Parts: sequence; C-alpha cells; structure tokens
Amino acid sequence: MSASNPASTPASTPAPTTPSVLQSLSDDLAAAVAKASHSLVAIHARRRIPSTGVIWRPGIVVTAHHTIQREERITVTLADGTSVGATLAGRDPTTDIAVLRLNSEVGVPIERAATGAARVGQLVLALGMPGPAVTAALGVVSATGGEWRTWHGGRIDQFIRLDLAIYDGFSGGAAIDASGRMVGLNSSGLARASAMTIPLATVERVAEQLLTSGRVRRGYIGLGVQPVRLPAGVVAAHALPREVGLMVVSIEEGAPAHAAGISLGDVVVACAGEAVADPSELLAALTGDRVGTSVTLRVLRGGAPQDIAVTVGERQTRSDR
Amino acid sequence: MDSTSFLSPALAAGLELDGLAALVRGYTVQIASRNGTALGSGVVWHPDGLVVTNAHVVRDPRPVLSVGGAGEFEGRVVAHDARRDLALISIDAAGLVAAPVGDAESLRAGSLVLALGHPLGVALTLGVVHAVTTTRGMPRYIAADVRLAPGNSGGPLVDTSGRVVGINAMIVGGLGVAIASTVVRAFLRDAARSGAVSYTTPLAA
Repeated sequence: MSASNPASTPASTPAPTTPSVLQSLSDDLAAAVAKASHSLVAIHARRRIPSTGVIWRPGIVVTAHHTIQREERITVTLADGTSVGATLAGRDPTTDIAVLRLNSEVGVPIERAATGAARVGQLVLALGMPGPAVTAALGVVSATGGEWRTWHGGRIDQFIRLDLAIYDGFSGGAAIDASGRMVGLNSSGLARASAMTIPLATVERVAEQLLTSGRVRRGYIGLGVQPVRLPAGVVAAHALPREVGLMVVSIEEGAPAHAAGISLGDVVVACAGEAVADPSELLAALTGDRVGTSVTLRVLRGGAPQDIAVTVGERQTRSDR
Repeated sequence: MDSTSFLSPALAAGLELDGLAALVRGYTVQIASRNGTALGSGVVWHPDGLVVTNAHVVRDPRPVLSVGGAGEFEGRVVAHDARRDLALISIDAAGLVAAPVGDAESLRAGSLVLALGHPLGVALTLGVVHAVTTTRGMPRYIAADVRLAPGNSGGPLVDTSGRVVGINAMIVGGLGVAIASTVVRAFLRDAARSGAVSYTTPLAA
C-alpha cells in the first residue's frame, strides 16, 4: 500500500474471543470504579485543585478534614456534573474527618463493605475525584490491626494501611474493594508518607457526632506530660501496675489541672482508675462524655501516691488547622 | 481460559502475566545513541522495520536499536513531531514482530495496564488506568498508576491482551503518562500523507 493512501493506518486488533483471567479482572476493577464513582464528589473548598468526598447519605458528604481549607462558599460537584452548594456540618482534626451538608438531599450513598472485613493482601482501589472525572490507583491492604490513636489523639477503630501510591485527590476519597464497596475513607494526613484508610465504623461514629453537635467533644485538663521510669522501690512499695508514669512538665495557667492543684514534677500513674504510662493513654481516658465531670488522677508526689480530683474541661479545637 | 481453568485465578493471572510479558518484550526495542548511551525504548509498529518512540528519545538522528531476538540495527528518524512528542524510526529489517494496537477509547479508570521499557534492562510494571485525558472526545493522554523510570520513554503501555494503548512519555506527580494510541495513529497518518514514510505492506499488519 502506498504512502499516499492514508487508509493504511492500523486498525485496532480485535480482543481475543476467550476472555482471559487478567481481562476479566481488569473489567471487574473498571466496573467497581464505575459503580463507586456515582457516590464520589469533587469538593471546592481549597485553592489549587478540588478535593474528594464521598456521599454517605443523601445530602451528606464525608471527607478528609485537612483538605477543607475554607468554611464558606463551599461547592460540590456530583458525579453527574451538577454543582451543589454545601455547608460544613463539622470537622474533627483528631480523626481527620469532616462532614458537609449539601443544600439539597441529593446523591447516591456509597455501598459499604462489612465492617472489619479488610484483610491483608486484599485488592483495593483508591478513588479520587480531584476534577470532573474519577481517578483510580490499585494496591493491596498491607497491614491491619486493632484500635489505634492518631497523633492528635483521635480514636480510629481499626488500623488499615494500604500499599498504593498517593496521588492528588487521595485524601477524602474512598478505598473500595474489587466489587466497588467502600472499605474506608482515605487520608494521607494520619501517618507520614503512608496511605491510611479510616474504617467505616470510625467514619460512622464521628460523622454522627459532627452532624448532631457540630463537633467531637474531647476532655481537657491542661497538662503536658513526659513518660518516666519509676524507681523499682516505689513501684513495689505501692503495688503500682506499671513501671512507667507520666511526669508533669507543663501546666496551663487556669486549666482544670491547675485549678485542682497538680504541680510540676508530679508523676501521673492513673486516670479514672486506669493505669497510664503513655501520653496517648491519658488522652484516651479523657473522653468526651467526661467533660464537666470529675475524674481522679493518681499522682506520685515526693514518692507517695495521692488522689486528686480534676473537673474535666472541653478541649477547644482550632477549626483552621 | 480453558487450559488454565484448573488453576486458582491468582495463579492463572500470574501465568498470563508471564505470557503477556514475553509477548510485549518481543516488540519492545531499546534505543541508544551511536556512542552507546541508552536513550529510551520504542515499539515495533510494523514488521518491515518501523519503530515508534518519543520525539524526546531520538536526540541522535542515527540511533542504534536493539530488537529482541533480531539483533542491533542503525535507525533513521523518518518522522519527528515535537508537539505530539512522537517519532518514527526506520530500520533495515523485515519480518519483525509488530505490536498489536489496542483501543485507548476502551480504557476506563481502573482498567489494568502494563508498561514495559528499558530503564536498566527490561522492566515491567503493572497498574491501573488513573485517568484518560481527551480532546474533542479522542483520548490524548493516559495517566496510569504504573511506576515508570526515564528509560521507559517511548516504550509501550499495554492492555491485558498485550495490545499497545499508549507510548509512555513522562512521569507527572508520580503517575506514568502515555500518549494514547489514537494520537499515534494520527501521527502516522500525517507522516504517510507528507510522504515521509512509504510502506511496502499495510501498516495494519
């Protein structure tokens, strides 16, 4: 065929008639993405590119708190291209979850996998919508574990780490299984350079609190503490359950601990009857439902234990973080 | 697949990947300069010695191409399109294994794709389509969740049947970005129209 005939360009080679395992896997993955993408939205609440959110219930979107950089003039683009105004129902920096209320009860809620079903090695896709179209990355669940606390003290019901690359739009997007069901809400803000997904149980719990009260209440006593090893003699003499306590290294002026008479150098060994040997354990004991109530701190002062009652205050969260 | 139906899907998928890699390796070439510096990769587009690569790969107008199983050839750049970042190299060979060409339009976010190239030896990477960029409804770029290295430039992005759906061209924000096969077709059509290339057998081999 001569060069003057432009019809000599190659035609597509037809696909093999027997579908291969890889081909059907590929089709399944693309179908899973297509199915879940009806429940993804692009959120316009920051400068550069939009972030991703997931329709949790009609009119309710869950996303990653750290991607919401302004609280006014938020708009959301649905999968069908329509644009809807939204207001911030609340945000919880400790779990990196934010909830938006759309101005109309629209959207297809995402189908969810069974809670606690994530298994190491399971195929997952991370979906984002940092623009008009959904984007995907493939990987596996690389690690699972029990309940853990974020570095801001938020309680995450299950540890689920994903082995996949983090691209624009990852945070606030959904991790889905090969059948298109959500296994978690993705966040790159909870662990350095590691793709974490927030389990559905945590999303449900935090979203519920945010929708009801606009915030997740957390207790506050105003102490800065540092773990210290306790002298063996002191541990034995007072039958202490742990060999480490928390030495008070700072006290906020006027805070509940200050008012209760806690001193610098006191070593906290228990809070509300629970032994504490790590700052996160103390944080964990100061749950939202204890706000306004009195808890007993057991401290070592001059080597002798003392019980001090502290009225728990509410932690103020900077909403612009 | 009948011959593998007694295997677990994961094992069968692994075997298929092996076969796919062998197929793709057959039409992926390494491109070097005359002094031996590796420049990138290319795809045998026609059995009579036509190889498609990126324009930015052919910094040497007479590159040396290593074609798996067929040896080394001195190439001649016969068409060069810096805007599309595509180039066509002719080598004096016949009966090469040409790449089956796939349909970039059939790709969707989540479709499995492979990339093969010559960063340091032959490297294969597997991932999914992240997004397809279109202009006037035609696929232009395919962003894929595959780990590319500079030597992948000019090499194939392949669907699960081993068909070329794009020419890997760049890495943007960690994503591999390939020039869609639709664009390669337009480039070849223009090259043919301009008389830069003439074919003894149809390109649709």
